[in-house]
Amino acid sequence: MTPILAESAAPRSRTRRQSFLGQIVAMPAGAIFLVFASLQIVCIVGALLYPDEFRYLSPQNLTILMKAIPVLGCLALGAGVLMIAGEFDLSIGSVYTFTAILMASLVEAGLSAFIAAPLGILAGLMIGMLNGQITLRFGLPSFIVTLGGLLFWRGAVLLYNGAVQVRFDPEPAFSSLFAGSLFGINAAFIWIILFVVGFHFLLHRHRFGNHVFATGGNRAAAEAIGINTGRVKLVAFAIAGGMAAMAGILATARVGSVQPGQGAGLELQAIAACVIGGLSLRGGRGSIIGIFLGVLLIHTITDVLLLLRAPGFYLDMFIATLIVLAAIFNHLIERRGLA
Amino acid sequence: MSRANLLELHNISKSFGALTALRNLSFHVEEGEVVGLLGDNGAGKSTTVNLISGIHKPTSGHLSVDGRKTTFTCRSDSAEAGIETIYQHTALVDSLSITRNIFMGRELTDRFGFLRQREMREIAMEVLQNAVHISGIDSPDTLVGNLSGGQKQAVAIARAVYFKKRVLLLDEPTSALSVRETEALLNQVLKLKGENVSSVLVTHNLYHAYQVCDRFVIMSHGTKVFDVQKADTTISQLTEYVVLT
Repeated sequence: MTPILAESAAPRSRTRRQSFLGQIVAMPAGAIFLVFASLQIVCIVGALLYPDEFRYLSPQNLTILMKAIPVLGCLALGAGVLMIAGEFDLSIGSVYTFTAILMASLVEAGLSAFIAAPLGILAGLMIGMLNGQITLRFGLPSFIVTLGGLLFWRGAVLLYNGAVQVRFDPEPAFSSLFAGSLFGINAAFIWIILFVVGFHFLLHRHRFGNHVFATGGNRAAAEAIGINTGRVKLVAFAIAGGMAAMAGILATARVGSVQPGQGAGLELQAIAACVIGGLSLRGGRGSIIGIFLGVLLIHTITDVLLLLRAPGFYLDMFIATLIVLAAIFNHLIERRGLA
Repeated sequence: MSRANLLELHNISKSFGALTALRNLSFHVEEGEVVGLLGDNGAGKSTTVNLISGIHKPTSGHLSVDGRKTTFTCRSDSAEAGIETIYQHTALVDSLSITRNIFMGRELTDRFGFLRQREMREIAMEVLQNAVHISGIDSPDTLVGNLSGGQKQAVAIARAVYFKKRVLLLDEPTSALSVRETEALLNQVLKLKGENVSSVLVTHNLYHAYQVCDRFVIMSHGTKVFDVQKADTTISQLTEYVVLT
């Protein structure tokens, strides 16, 4: 008995001596937070030391960052909830473009933007539900179904609109609601913060979120305990589609026009943000804060490389490296968790 | 000792196409009784478990609970009747905490569906400390994925205890457990019996069954071949019936 006790006492004291850093890393999204915080410190110190060469803290740069983050943020939040529920949506980039074009052309035809925008979101929700229905009804991998969706809605944009850009000219109230500013903070950035807080409560503090984690973590167990996992997944698909449309609204209100090709590749960036933020590709793991930090990290790195005038291909290579490192790290954590 | 029959199976047969898995099976479980459902591979034990938990419907015959005839069409029907099935690979979500697993699907929430986290955590802590003694779990916030097989089963049992289940259906509960964990689990079954919770121990392992069961039902080729009180039998007689019938 005694030797066993002695043996089991050793690792315990080791965990007790665990450093403050170790404790942060052990928290959900703790590691990504550390990476993000260190990067911020380096950037801020760099900007203070070389204010002329490295304009990270200049108002212009901060505004650009605040305007860029919400679009990917909305996409990633939707994609992330769905990933935690155990499914993918590759079509969100195309849905984002399609719903934006729909909204812009309705406004051009004389409809109020306050009606056209909810219609765009409705279209996003319905496309998401369609993806979900096909996936669940036929028991297919959502990867394949939404790959079909990616191509289909990209084609639908060209069918509906042709390869020309659509101007978006809403009433001023609409513009200031989605592209104006409040106390110097960009409206779109306020929106994304509201969404992050809302999603955090939905996923981590609400019954629905618990069911999402249960469905993605062990569908058979969730089913056995009486959770309607099909409905949970369907709602998650709808959220992914709806948030894609929301991203479309924010982007369109900012730019004032829609390009038919603008959404290409965004679905992968959104999934990348989720992976960097600690979501498991197998579902059931992750946090909203993690997703948002993933988005922030992608945009901060992009921004820094642009400020340093690095050629464009460095961006992709950096993000790529980050994704793979994050995936390896998450895998290690998962393995430790399952051991 | 005449106690009420909590759960009864009446002449149940079950066929899957041409294959007859159960033939004319009848047995009962009394209140506060531990029944060992024994038999070799292919005797129909798993089909019986699935039938009682509502996954399969009988081809003929019926179940009754508290003397009333019932049909279970899905698992939640049996759960409502107070029957909790605890499978070998217990139905828990590894990536969620113990608290969240205990309340999974039955969360305590406010009017708007938001979780009453503190309350659930306190109940989970109490259940873990009082209802089931699980060695090595110090916090209900521990992720279930970090627990051992025995600890996981203890959590599943804790869930059943908290939601006032009356019959635990344990399907091969000891097959993945260490000796110490097995001991703890069997003690748990006895403790629950003291609180008038019945258990059906479905197992290969006659020695484990003999340790805790009051009565044994031995199955062979889809039907009951022996039904005996512990006082009237020996382990060698049980072995004979399992092996030779």
